[in-house]
Amino acid sequence: MGPYTITYFGVRGRCGAMRIMMADQGQEWKEIVVDFADWMKGDLKATCVFGQLPKLEDGGFALYQSNAILRHLGRNHDAYGKDGKEAALIDMMCDGVEDLRLKYVKMIYQEYDTGKDVYIKDLPNHLDKFEAVMAKNKTGFLVGDKPSFADYSLFEVLLNHLVLCSSCLDTFPSLKSFVEKMSARPKIKTFLDSEAYKKLPINGNGKQ
Amino acid sequence: MYLNRISMVCALTGRAEVIRVMLKDQGAEFDEKVITMEMWKESTLKASCLFGQLPIFEDGDLTLYQTNAIRRHLARKLGLYGKDQREAALIDMMDEAIQDLLNKYIKLMFEKDDSGKEGYLKALPTDLKPFEKTLSGDKGSFLVGDKISLADYALVILLIHHQVLSPPCLHAFPSLQSYLKRLCARPNLHAYFHSDDFKNRPIIPGKRT
Repeated sequence: MGPYTITYFGVRGRCGAMRIMMADQGQEWKEIVVDFADWMKGDLKATCVFGQLPKLEDGGFALYQSNAILRHLGRNHDAYGKDGKEAALIDMMCDGVEDLRLKYVKMIYQEYDTGKDVYIKDLPNHLDKFEAVMAKNKTGFLVGDKPSFADYSLFEVLLNHLVLCSSCLDTFPSLKSFVEKMSARPKIKTFLDSEAYKKLPINGNGKQ
Repeated sequence: MYLNRISMVCALTGRAEVIRVMLKDQGAEFDEKVITMEMWKESTLKASCLFGQLPIFEDGDLTLYQTNAIRRHLARKLGLYGKDQREAALIDMMDEAIQDLLNKYIKLMFEKDDSGKEGYLKALPTDLKPFEKTLSGDKGSFLVGDKISLADYALVILLIHHQVLSPPCLHAFPSLQSYLKRLCARPNLHAYFHSDDFKNRPIIPGKRT
């Protein structure tokens, strides 16, 4: 596997989770940052299978669609459960995180000024599901006893939500502990403290 | 391949159809309990579902939610996930894009009126083009590799739905047309698509097509 290259805009966006995952797995990767004005010219867009970024290159193999990339990294780095049952549960949790991510992205890009407060008020109704799973599993991960790509995805989405509302995990002790423990994993801590991470805005429109 | 009897509880929605089609084509036996909107509203079932949603899928001692997690689980069991890791990744990529279009379609279906339909149909060729490109040339009969995969079942259903929405939508896409014809000619799928079970099932219950 590897070397890895990510081609994406200069934001965390849909690359947030994969970067944290690669960092935690001790992987190095190259970043090709695409200027949005250049993107709109269309040359690069035309080469992308679905006209979208991000793109991951794994050696000579090019892959699109952020969740396909997460799953591919999960297979590469033994982060897809120990058996078929765990794999299915990890898929289920990642899909649940994706549903939350879609709601977040919709609010950020379409309804920030008018919808932010309602979103924050409704947030516990979505976080409680993840709290319940985390609390039941007792290992500090969503499924099994090691981090899966679903954990990296959840971790990243929770970091973004803590920026939106710093108290949003106060009533969810398992999720709060999960974020603390993931943040403290040495390679993740190094990455989150890095300029490479800190300099990028979360979202393309500057809202967070 | 022997498969445990699978129980599936789902409303008559477009999302679960992709699961049914895969199981029917593979000749896998499953029990199905259909939940109507009335039953859903009256029961405590929703509260017992992890994300408050259907379908629920049971395979032995494994209970799963999330349609796509269910599909992936079945694909792994039934050998519909490519021959190696690289094919699996490409299948995932195709499937994610199909889900993006399916989500757009479902959003359109749930709109209060037809005002979005024109814009949707105008954008549709751009959405279909990558699949046409993938299937054209000497690539082969399926989206990835030389065997049917979970992504193919999703695309077949998506194309069928779109032909109902707009019969001429595939006119400019000869590879998609031939792909659809080929897949629908698979004996089990042919039988299923011609069955009363399929024909009497609304794409999205209570909504226009």
